[in-house]
Amino acid sequence: MNLPDYEFLSAPLWLVTVLHLLTFTLHLVAMNFLLGGVIIVLHAAVRRRWDDPTLAKFARLFPSATAATVTLGVAPLLFLQLVFPRQMYSAAAVSGWFWMGVIAAVITAYYALYRAAFKAQATGKVSKLALAVALIGLLYVSLVYSSVFSMAEQPDQIHNLYARNQTGLVWNPAAGDYALRWLHMVLGAVTVGGFFVGLIGRDNAEVFATGKTFFVGGMVAAAMAGMAYLLSLQAWLSAFMRTPAISALGVGILLSLGSLHFFFKKKFWPAGAMLFVSMLTMVFARHTVRLLKLAPQFDPATWRIAPQWSPFLMFLVCFVVMLAVLVWMLRMFFGSKKSAA
Amino acid sequence: MNYPFWDEPMGYGVLMAVIAVFHVFVSHFAIGGGLYMVVSERIARKAGDTKRLKFIEKLSKFFVLVTLVAGALTGVGIWFVIGLINPAATEALIHNYVWGWATEWTFFVVEIASAILYFYGWKRMAARDHMIIGWIYFVFAWLSLVVINGIITFMLTPGQWLATGDFWDGFFNPTYWPSLVMRTGVCGMLAGLYALLVASRIEPGDFKARMVRYSAGWGIVGLVVTAVCEYWYWKAIPAAVVEKALQIMPTPIHSIEYSVWLAMGIGALLVVFGVLAPRKLSSPAAALLMVLGLVWFGCFEWFRESIRKPYVITGYMYGNGVELAKADRYKKEGYLAQLAFKTGDDGADLFRHACRSCHTLDGYKALKPAFDGTDRAFIAAIIRSAHLLRGNMPQFLGKPEEAEKIADYLYQRMDKRPLDEVYGLQGVELGRKAYALRCGKCHVLGAASDKSKSFAGQSADDLNSMLNAAADMGEGMPAYTGGAKERAGLVAFLEQLGKGVKK
Repeated sequence: MNLPDYEFLSAPLWLVTVLHLLTFTLHLVAMNFLLGGVIIVLHAAVRRRWDDPTLAKFARLFPSATAATVTLGVAPLLFLQLVFPRQMYSAAAVSGWFWMGVIAAVITAYYALYRAAFKAQATGKVSKLALAVALIGLLYVSLVYSSVFSMAEQPDQIHNLYARNQTGLVWNPAAGDYALRWLHMVLGAVTVGGFFVGLIGRDNAEVFATGKTFFVGGMVAAAMAGMAYLLSLQAWLSAFMRTPAISALGVGILLSLGSLHFFFKKKFWPAGAMLFVSMLTMVFARHTVRLLKLAPQFDPATWRIAPQWSPFLMFLVCFVVMLAVLVWMLRMFFGSKKSAA
Repeated sequence: MNYPFWDEPMGYGVLMAVIAVFHVFVSHFAIGGGLYMVVSERIARKAGDTKRLKFIEKLSKFFVLVTLVAGALTGVGIWFVIGLINPAATEALIHNYVWGWATEWTFFVVEIASAILYFYGWKRMAARDHMIIGWIYFVFAWLSLVVINGIITFMLTPGQWLATGDFWDGFFNPTYWPSLVMRTGVCGMLAGLYALLVASRIEPGDFKARMVRYSAGWGIVGLVVTAVCEYWYWKAIPAAVVEKALQIMPTPIHSIEYSVWLAMGIGALLVVFGVLAPRKLSSPAAALLMVLGLVWFGCFEWFRESIRKPYVITGYMYGNGVELAKADRYKKEGYLAQLAFKTGDDGADLFRHACRSCHTLDGYKALKPAFDGTDRAFIAAIIRSAHLLRGNMPQFLGKPEEAEKIADYLYQRMDKRPLDEVYGLQGVELGRKAYALRCGKCHVLGAASDKSKSFAGQSADDLNSMLNAAADMGEGMPAYTGGAKERAGLVAFLEQLGKGVKK
């Protein structure tokens, strides 16, 4: 029967990869602000480091940060599924219940953050319990993602696990594969969270100091965890060292240090730009590790390319319109003044 | 069959329905609610109606909490779940429509951002600017429907795409426009229902009556648009699909019938509480309207999902993920040869991949009630002839010995006692049960392939001879393999049918 084939990519692989890495980095920015921010604010609330209005100010930001994290997470997941569907769905299927639990966890965390925000709005106080519930939900999501995406890089492991258990209750047993990766990700979130706390609290010495502490401390800890993760790659490490990703990673580390430099001087634009590019290099390195691990079984370059240029053009135009409308709306929101009447 | 099978007990249909029905109920409100709020805000501001403005502001908080959190997340949830329950179809859809989805994402980003700005803008934005944000929200929310509607309708009516493989041929398929206009009507109707829920909590008085009447108007207009377009949609489905459904598919037909009754119920309640007695709208009555709306939408979506059986993408891929284009390969090489993930238990693997995406053993679309008290040979025959059964099942494309393996697997899990012992029945009642299990899968009394008239005037001996020759009658009829007691009961029941007694 002569029916259309779906085993193709509707744009060149490089284009899909660029979109994937770029949108994933944007997702990470929002996610890091959310996860890192919740950790830092909860810490400040428990240790009574900040006054109530300051805590409330941050608590009110988290629901929007959650919306940004979720929304910006959709695109990279789409591009990931486009290029790596068999690896991704297979890993998700063997951990099916945990995977579906992500939705419940995010909904719970989201409502908890709205609870904290509304309470902050109404009473000027922050709900530590709501923030803690949200943090648990977010950490669950991060763990499941680390577990599943790490498993997706090892198809043989998925086959073995599935042969033993088909109920979707399999948790990736190779904790060594993802524990450091997960730790690096959480510490990275604390780092970026520290940056945003410093940025938002730049006029409050105490808040800025907290942001600085977490930015610097998080960066040192994340670097150590990242290094340990690289070393744990063992056989793949030497292959990784021969890829452009190692140079990119070097540039990323330098940019992180540059970001710290400008952050100390409260020059947030260059600091933020450097931090973003640094994250982009790490996302690229992560992508390279995925390709190396999958190389024995799968090379995305083998996808047949059958471009759909007119739908792509539609996307491109809408993407530009999206950016323009977002900027316009934000300018209107911050520039608009409600009349006394 | 490139994927492992998630063997969860509740059944894929139930899992999908729970998430999808809830999501569409919220997501359509997310669109209609946006229009409701900005139009209402305009009316209120023009009239200087501060009470109404307060009401809309209150509604917008409810709106944000429902749509941004539960609505958006269950949308992602649908994506998560389809990747688990039908990864092949999801892969096919993503590969064909990635730029459609990516475009929808750009609208989604603006939709979410504008909803947040609209909500927080009440306290700080100038009226005109606030309403502009509201309009942006509605337009982009509706545009996301414009895109996703193309992909949803493609699954039922891929149209010319099957021949050309062209993105736009599949996107603007035969049910695209009726579905888009109908869903737009649904958005308006649901906006009215949600607003009524909030309005029902207003203090009794003139203002409550005004808001209830106004919101009910949205519901009624939306319902009328929906009803007209539901008919248009029905007519846009290829005649062959509809005819087959009317003949042998009770599920979608019952679903659409229920949806019509429910729509009439919703309409009646809207007229009673919205137009005739708006002051009497209580919260329980408004909640009842919401529940009816949810069930109505559930019925419609159930119809849409089930009428395309046995396909997940009509004419392209079966519900169990088998592509029609690969049917010959399955027949030649066998089903097992196509499975990338195996467990070492061939029967279980075959059952999961061939049957389990629709059926469970004892949950949703359970097989135990269908096979308890029968026998292995009968089960194997049914598997081989699955595509001939009522309900529109896909053809079993594996080798005969693979059908035997599934039969083995199933028979081991069935109640092996004779039918009379399993159900505690005797005589004609036992025969009625035997008929339902062994014959009724094709020959429905009073409906498809009803052969009861052919039993007229036949003696017990004639009927016994017919049962003996069942396997020779062709068209996939299995041999009659029931025990003596069951056979006697069945013959007695067939005799009754021959005399025109069906109950």
